[in-house]
Amino acid sequence: MPFEEHIAEHERRTARALAMGGQARLDKLAAAGRLNARQRIDYLFDPGSFLEVGMFARGEPREDWDKTPADGKVTGYGKIDGREAAVVSHDITVKSASSSPINVRKMGHVRRAAISNGMPLVLLNESSGARIPDTMGAIGTGTLGQDPTQFIRMREVPYVSAVLGPAFGTACWFTQLSDFVVMRKDAQLAISSPRVTEIAIRQKIDPMELSGWRMQAEVTGKVDYGVDSDEEALDLVKKFLSYLPSHHNELPPRTAVPTGADEPANRMLELVPEDRAKVYDMRKVAAALCDPGSVFPLKERFAKTAFTALGRIDGRVVGILGSNPMFKAGALDPDSCDKACTFFVLCDSFNIPIIILVDTPGFLIGVEGERRKAPGKVINMMSALQMCSVPKFSIVMRKSYGQAYLNMGGTRNTDEMLAWYSADVGFMDPNVGVNVVYGVKREEDPERFEQLVQEIKRDSSAYDLAGIFSAVAVIDPRESRRWLARLLEVHQKRPTKGIGRHLLGGWPTTF
Amino acid sequence: MATERVKAEITGNVWKIVAQVGDALEEEQTILIMESMKMEIPVMAPMKGKLRELLVKEGQEVSEGQDLAVIET
Repeated sequence: MPFEEHIAEHERRTARALAMGGQARLDKLAAAGRLNARQRIDYLFDPGSFLEVGMFARGEPREDWDKTPADGKVTGYGKIDGREAAVVSHDITVKSASSSPINVRKMGHVRRAAISNGMPLVLLNESSGARIPDTMGAIGTGTLGQDPTQFIRMREVPYVSAVLGPAFGTACWFTQLSDFVVMRKDAQLAISSPRVTEIAIRQKIDPMELSGWRMQAEVTGKVDYGVDSDEEALDLVKKFLSYLPSHHNELPPRTAVPTGADEPANRMLELVPEDRAKVYDMRKVAAALCDPGSVFPLKERFAKTAFTALGRIDGRVVGILGSNPMFKAGALDPDSCDKACTFFVLCDSFNIPIIILVDTPGFLIGVEGERRKAPGKVINMMSALQMCSVPKFSIVMRKSYGQAYLNMGGTRNTDEMLAWYSADVGFMDPNVGVNVVYGVKREEDPERFEQLVQEIKRDSSAYDLAGIFSAVAVIDPRESRRWLARLLEVHQKRPTKGIGRHLLGGWPTTF
Repeated sequence: MATERVKAEITGNVWKIVAQVGDALEEEQTILIMESMKMEIPVMAPMKGKLRELLVKEGQEVSEGQDLAVIET
């Protein structure tokens, strides 16, 4: 047979690469209920669509050649629901998927291919960080950094990360660069491992406090979802991508509208209490406005006063930002400004129209806020909103006061601002205003106080807002979905085929 | 068994206590309701668990960050 020796050699080398770090290590992963790097790829991509590049790459030192199949990071291309994507799947069984000059070269290759060909980059992250001892010393460290574009993020394509084990160093950096992050509840995400950190700072470290999913989902806000299994993580990666275009010069995919999609919005008056003192859950309002089952919350455990989600209205993808009265009365704090900013960046980069649902007493002011740079955060959010060139709509539902009115799309800060007939807009809550303006306290003179509250409340209605044409319409809450659906038809940015200017594409990747 | 301290997210008064010590709580189930900024704001369980201790009484003023309850997770 011609090429017989070549065929045998090729089969031997292929089998060696597919064997990864050896059966014992693979068995250990399976026993722990975890998929290995190649099983994750199989689960992620449509059957038979994976095209591997870099299978025969291996570690640089000659003594590692046979011990480092694919050099610990499996890379290539595949299809997710028929759409192309690039992948980096870290193989923890090969030198703990540590980063080396060669596997970083592989990562750079698929990243550049993703950007130049307009396909999402999926990162299945699990790595101990830089390969030690190879990176020690000037020669080891000085060999790093060969790619001066490695960490430039212009959001030409979506980056999505699943943190499926310990993720330090490069795996952590690319998680920070990602638009969406899902993390296993037993995984870790930090600059360095708890062990290295303990040695460096000579302090006992609680691994979950340093790098656990709740810290990342609730305190830093980097992680969108904490999950129990690899499969759950990969399902969420696919779900997130189903809302996004493959690249920034494409519109998000439109889907069919489920039957009865208009029904929930007709019950809006049951979801939002008329009594201003009663709170409600803005997430339910978003669910009623969107096609049934289409609301996909982002960063739900972080900065809960601002609710952010992707969803669909009449099959069109939208981004929803709502102040949520259920938490801190819907008052916006520095974290919720950061969350809103990141959300605007995502929507603006990928041509997703923004809908802002407003019921907020304003910004949470105080010493703590100032110490946490609240003014800067407020104005970052405001700048980001004004720089967004996707269609923007807002609905003032009940309260909207002061600068927060503007940050939440007030007047011309969205393309069309609607007001429910229950809208109440002013510079500050009338109860606070009476004290500030007239120096009258309720407990000292209740009668006069109430009279002044009514005076301040005058001219603060939805019709006042529409009278000066800041609100374009005063609507019945039950009409909200129909209005939004029509506005999405009207505002299609036809001269650029719905493609925005992406001024936020280079906005810092984390906050 | 791990415990989790539920903290006040905002300064205000404890208006009404809804859950009782020993109750099994779902994530986001209301433990008590605070009155702040002229609104009734629920304080909810951050995780599924059992209410082990209530650290405040109805009518009590609380500050942001103050411990309100302890749950076993």
